[in-house]
Formats: sequence, C-alpha cells, structure tokens
Amino acid sequence: MGDEKLLDIKNLTIKTGSGRVLVNHISLDMEKGELLGVEGESGSGKTLTAKTIINLLPENLSWEAERFQVLGVDYLKADPKAIKSLVGGRIGYVPQNTGFYLHPMIKIKDQIADGYVLYSKSSIEEALARASKLVGAVGIKDTERLLNSYPWQLSGGMRQRVNIAMALMNKPRLIIADEPTTALDSTIQKQVVDLFRAVNEAHQTSVLMISHDLGLIKYYCQRILVMYGGQIIEEASAGDLFAMPKHPYTKLLIKVIPSLNIKRGERLEEIPGHVLEIGKPRSGCVFKERCSYRQDICATEVKEQSLDGFHTFRCNFDI
Amino acid sequence: MLNYLYKRISHAVEVLLLVSIITFAVLMWIPGDAAQLILGSDATPEKLAALRSALGLDRPWYLQYWDWLKGFVSFDLGKSYLFGQDVSTLIRQRLPVTMSIAVFSMIIATVISIVLGILAAIRKNTAVDYVSTGLMQLGSSVPAFWIGMMSIVYLGLELQWFPIAGYVPPERGFVAYLNSIALPSMVLAIGEIGMLLRTVRTSMLDALSQDFMDMARAKGLSSFTIYFKYALRSAMIAPSNVIGLQFAKLVGGTVVVESVFSLPGIGRLILVAVEQRDVFLLLGLVMFITTLVIAIALLVDIAVMFINPRIRVEMQGE
Amino acid sequence: MRCKASDSVASKIRIKKKYHLIMGGGLTVLVAALCLLSFIYMPHNPNEMNLGLRFVGPGQNPAFLLGTDNFGRDILSRIIYGSRSVLLVCFVAVALGSLAGSLLGAIAAIAKGPLSAVIMRSIDGLMAFPGILLAMMMVAAVGKGQEGAVAAIGVFMIPPFARLVYSLILDSENLLFIKAAKSYGISRRRLLAKHYLPLLLPRLITQFTACIGAAIMIETSLSFLGLGIQPPNASWGLMLNEARQNFLQYPYLAVGPGVAIALSVLGFNLLGDGLNDLLIRRRS
Repeated sequence: MGDEKLLDIKNLTIKTGSGRVLVNHISLDMEKGELLGVEGESGSGKTLTAKTIINLLPENLSWEAERFQVLGVDYLKADPKAIKSLVGGRIGYVPQNTGFYLHPMIKIKDQIADGYVLYSKSSIEEALARASKLVGAVGIKDTERLLNSYPWQLSGGMRQRVNIAMALMNKPRLIIADEPTTALDSTIQKQVVDLFRAVNEAHQTSVLMISHDLGLIKYYCQRILVMYGGQIIEEASAGDLFAMPKHPYTKLLIKVIPSLNIKRGERLEEIPGHVLEIGKPRSGCVFKERCSYRQDICATEVKEQSLDGFHTFRCNFDI
Repeated sequence: MLNYLYKRISHAVEVLLLVSIITFAVLMWIPGDAAQLILGSDATPEKLAALRSALGLDRPWYLQYWDWLKGFVSFDLGKSYLFGQDVSTLIRQRLPVTMSIAVFSMIIATVISIVLGILAAIRKNTAVDYVSTGLMQLGSSVPAFWIGMMSIVYLGLELQWFPIAGYVPPERGFVAYLNSIALPSMVLAIGEIGMLLRTVRTSMLDALSQDFMDMARAKGLSSFTIYFKYALRSAMIAPSNVIGLQFAKLVGGTVVVESVFSLPGIGRLILVAVEQRDVFLLLGLVMFITTLVIAIALLVDIAVMFINPRIRVEMQGE
Repeated sequence: MRCKASDSVASKIRIKKKYHLIMGGGLTVLVAALCLLSFIYMPHNPNEMNLGLRFVGPGQNPAFLLGTDNFGRDILSRIIYGSRSVLLVCFVAVALGSLAGSLLGAIAAIAKGPLSAVIMRSIDGLMAFPGILLAMMMVAAVGKGQEGAVAAIGVFMIPPFARLVYSLILDSENLLFIKAAKSYGISRRRLLAKHYLPLLLPRLITQFTACIGAAIMIETSLSFLGLGIQPPNASWGLMLNEARQNFLQYPYLAVGPGVAIALSVLGFNLLGDGLNDLLIRRRS
C-alpha cells in the first residue's frame, strides 16, 4: 500500500435545504489499493456519502466539511470542471442494481463508450474494442450482440454487469460501488465481487463498497465502517470487527447474519425497534432508542472510544 | 403492435362516424331549410315543396344522412347553396391559407415550447422558469383575437414589421408569402404554447430525475451530451403526443385569427356558413376539419411509436 | 432518500399555489364586484350615444375615464355593463353543461352495459370537434344571441364533466367505505348523497371554476365573431368586434375590453388551480 491518501474526508455533514442533518460529522479516509466496506441500514447516510464523493448529491441537499480531498483534488477549492473530469475520468461508479441506470432508448454500445471517448481521447472504435473486452471479463459470452442491444432487452443481472464494465472503462483509480450485488443471484454476486478483487489486485484500484450485506463485506473488504443514523458508529479492520465488535449495534448486526447451521424451528434474530427517523435534532447516542445497554447518560452524550488507534467506536461503555 | 394500430384506427373511424351523426343531428335542427334559403322568404309553398323534393329534403333524415355519408366516403361533400359550388372545391381553394398558418404556428409553438420548457426544467425555480410559467398563464388567458388586434397596431402599423392583413400565395414570392402569414401564425402560436410548454417542462423534469441521468453525470459527460443525448430523448415522447392533440385546437383557432387578419381561409368560410346557415357547407367543413385533425393525431401517434426503439425492435421481431 | 429530503421544494410549491389562490380569488372578486357595480352605479348609460363626443381618448375628458367609442358611448360604462352579460351567459351555460355532463357521467357509471357505452361514446364524439367548431355549430342551430351562446358553451362543457364524474365514480367503487356501505344494503340514493357527493364535490367545484375561465374565452370569441351577444347590448367581445373598424386609428378602443377579458379568464384559471391544490391535492 502506498502512503498517498486516496480519500481524505473530515467532518462531512450533509443537510437538507430546511436544515435537517442527514449525515453528521463523519470522517473517512482510504489508502491506495484499499478495499473499504461501508455497512448500514437504508437511511443510515451511506449512499449520500458516496454521492458526495462523485458529486451527485441531489440539488436540495448541501454538504460541508472541514477537509474533502479525493485523489488529491480538493473539493472545497477546486472548480466544478475539475471535479467533473475527476469523477468522469478517474472514478468508476457502480450504482444500485434496483434502479434503471442505463438509458432505455439508447443502445448499450452508445452508452458504454461515450465517457471513454471523452476522457481517454480515443476513437469510438477503440472504445468499443475496450468495451467488448470488459463486457467479456464480466462473464458475458456474446459481447457483439450485447453491445447492440437496448437495456430493456437484458435481464437485471446482465444490466448490472454492463454497469460494472462501464465503471471500469476509464481504468479508474477508485471504484465506488453502491450495493452492487443487490437482487443478483448468489452465483453472479460472487462473480461480480471476485471481479472487483481481480481489478484491485491487477491495477491497485481502490474500491469503496457500500452494502447492507455484512456477510459480503466480511468476505471481501479489508476495513469496515458501520454507519447508523448519519454517523459512523464503529470502524475497524474486517477481522477485528467480527472478532470483537464493540458497538451494541454492530454486535446485533453480526448476530442477525443468517448462519447456515440454523436449527429447524429456530427464529431468525432481529434487531428490535425501527430505524430511527433521520434528521431529527437529537443529542447523545444515535442508537439509544433501540439499545439494550442504554443508561441515562446515553440521552445526553456519547463517548468516542479507540482501542488501538485503528478500532474506534462511539459508545459510552466498553462491553 | 399491429393489434394496437388496428384498434387505434378503428377507434378513429368510430369517432368520426359519431361526429358525423352529431353534426347531422344538430344541423337538421336548424329552422328553415335549404329550399327556403335558396328561394328566399317570399317563395310560394308550391315552389318550396318542388325544390325540396328535387333536393331530396322531403325524405326522412336517416335516408338523407345515409346519402350524405355515401357521398362523404367518396369525397363528395355536396353543394353549397350560398356559393353554388361544390363544398370540396370551396375547401380546396381555401385550404392552403389555413394549413399555412396552422402548420407555421405549430412550428413556432413547438420550437418555443421545447426550448423554454427544457430551460425551465434545467433551471428550475429561477427567472427562466418563472418567465415561462408566466407565459404559460398568459397564453391561456389572453384571447387570440385581442393579441391579434394589438399586434396589428404595434408590430404592423407602428413598427411596420409585417403586413397587417391579406394573404400572398407562395407562387407570388416566397418571402412575401411568409411575411403575410407570419403575424397570424405567431398570434395563433401564443395560445398553443401554454399546454405544450407545460408538458415539455414536466417530462423533462421527469427525465432529469431518472437514474440514468445520475449515471450520465457520474461519467462526467458534457452538459450538452447529458441534456440532449440522455434527457431529451426520453423527454420528447409525451410532448409529441400532445402536439398531435394540440393541432386540433389550433385548427379551431384559425377561425378567429383569419377573421382578425382578413385571410381568405377555411375559418372565414365556416363563419359565413354559420351566419348564413348554409347547412351542407357547414356539414362538409366540420367533417373535413375533424377528419383532418383526427388523421393528424393518428399519424403523430404512429410516428411516436416508431421513435421508441422498444416498439421498433418488437416490430422487427414480428 | 430523495423524496424524504425534498420538503423545502414542496413548501416552495405550496407558497406558489397559495399565491395562485390569492391572485385568482382577488381577480374573480374584482370581476364579480364590477358586475354588482353595474346594478348600483355606472358613470354613464352604456348605450347612450353622444355623437358630439366621438373618439374621446382616455384621460382627455375626466367624465370619460377610458374614453368614448365611435358613437360617443362611454367605454368604462360599457365594460362595467358588459361584465353582466359575460358572467350571466358563462355561469348559466357552465351550470347547465356541468349538470347535464355530471348526470350523463353518473348514469353511465352506474348503469354500465350498453347504455354506458352509448353515452361515453357520444361524449368521445363531442370531444373530437376541434376548438370552437362545436360552439359555432350550435350557434348555427340555435341562432345568434344569448340563447345561442348559452347553448354553444353549455354543450361544450358536457364532456369534461361527464368524463370526470364517470371516472371518479368508477374509481371510487373500489374504495373500502363504499364497499362497506354497499355491503349493509344502502339505498342507491343514499349512497349517492352520503358517499359519492362528498367525494365528487371538491373536484366538481374545481372543474367548474376552471370551466368558467374557458367559457369566458369562448363567449368573447363568439361575440367577437359577431355570433354571440348582439348589438346594441354591451359585451366585451362585441366591443372588440365594433372596435375593429376604427382601432387602427384609435387603438385605445381595443385595450380596455381586452384587458377585462384577459384578467377575468386569468382570475378563474388561477382560482381553479388554487382550489385544485386546496381541495384535492392536500387531501390526498
């Protein structure tokens, strides 16, 4: 691993126009070649954080931060054009598979190639050759036919593989994958994740993977952030996090991963309560309503603890 | 697909049939008939009866309708008592004027609506958006004939930009022709912009909020590519359908505009037919225009279907 | 996440809609006041000719604020008086049209079967006439003047109401409280009065308001073409028609009535928009 920081964000806060806080003072960094997993329920702010990095935050939201550098570009100072070409040229974005991220009325080949032609200053033929190669790499046999199809002629899994190939077109240094494997068959899931790992090993490409599937992240990432209610509540290496989770929420999360040796008639574990409504002004711990270790102090304050400088968590206790 | 086409066409024919029945029923209701009109009010009852039986007006209405319908299908719209000419001849003489201003104003309205609609959607809640919303309200509240009169005074008389009345056929110089229909077309267009602009803006906003727009932005594409290659392509389907429908309103609007600018078009003919109660002329005109409008809406519908690759591909598969 | 976070935009839209309601309400009250004023006070008799005072421009003579026309009649008085005939014709016509349309729609929705098909197909046919062609045809049949205008506009208003009522009743048949009411054997009349009417009323009111705006547009167009209200009565469209002979020399003749038309149509349109938001969208 190099010592150049790929991602350096300090105290990022995302708010709505009316001042509701959706992401609350989070800090994260990434090294070159790192595989970072972000785990959290929907509404925890993980997707918004990713969208800020690729400059796609919805118009009605705004962000502020003490420091915000991506691949050496300072978002607080750089002009919009520089950020645009950084996002287009050096960051690959793999969206959630549940949406329709390919234009239904444009052929795949005309969508997969346009970004490459723009940023690699190449001809359309070169772009299509590369597209064909990448589409083959994500496990599609008849690449010619695929490139000449419209997105609605493909299955969901095929479309997601096209999305991934599209993200790889410009040889990105950072890939941001937002729930890349949701709604895919488990065999394809593994194929996709293995592909990310292969790209990571071959080109030192870093991957920021967002998922609510802790099992997947465990299998795949070196370091994991757990988000809840717009905050990072625990951060540790993958091994540490599973070996000794510290935050009550993380503990519950690990417990609810359905394990294969579940006994007949046994109930699956669940986390009590509901995801808290995000953005309400609150003090103290974000997880207090659902936490079984709750004490009076949790209503007013929360302590940030660190085990060895690498494993940090936000809880008043060390359980 | 072919099934849909068949349904669409048979529905159009059905509606036309209905329109003809309604028109016939309403016009049969007119007191005093064609014979009276031709011979004047001092005609003797014997003469009236003779003419009536000569024209077939003494037969029951359904037989008259049937005859008329047979004629209509073979492009024979009957005779105008007022002009003593075939209705189809009268229409043919005046059609170029009306079609010129209708088509020209449709082009103006379409271009303005698309440009302003896109801008209003991209720059939502800014001055452009508010101006186009204002234009929308204005266009649907200010009567065309008044805009026509005002523009005659200010654009025609004071600034001398356009002739204030009359029609120059294209054979007598294309520039003069365009000049003569420019002002009426613009006036007619203002009323059409409202609805069309609203549709363009809404469907553009819808397109902009689609997931694929996020992807296009994440690829760092230029604004031009983002808006024209990605957004506009899916935003144009709904407005295209509205264009077909708006054309109907527009042809109706020519009556007033032709009257303001003294243009010898079909609208003027309708006015004369209504004032003088020339039943067969009016019947022919109403049916002709309605057929035209329904046919155009149908053609637009079919054209839009072919723009959509999904349907195109399915057609090839059949 | 996007829709959760969009409350600021929603509030902006709400403010804009409120402004519609206020603007529209203000303008319609203004037009109504003008109409009432015509019964109480008018600067001059609207039909009083004064050939010595022809074409007095606006502001030239304090007795004639907006000037006089080719017969020396006071334009302001004619505008005030004209509001009467415009509003009368439009309200009566839309009232008749909405009543007939709603009844037809309700019958079609409740009867189902061939009767429903016949009614709704005829409505389709009425809708197919382009622009004011149908209105002009009605004038040809009934005759020029107020009755013709009422018939023309009334028929024009049947389809929108018929379709509205028809689709609303069909949609609401699946609503739970109506199913429940039917299940304990409510009479048809009670069902209509107790359940459908409250459901329909806000929509009908909104539609009615918007249709008044459209009706004013048609009435003034017909009058402008010489097919509506006949001279010597004062009506805005007719005033513009009469102004045509002289407006090239005296443009002010056309300004007053045109502004009156535009403001009243705008008023009813905006009020319709505002009511739509107030009565319908907020409920759902």
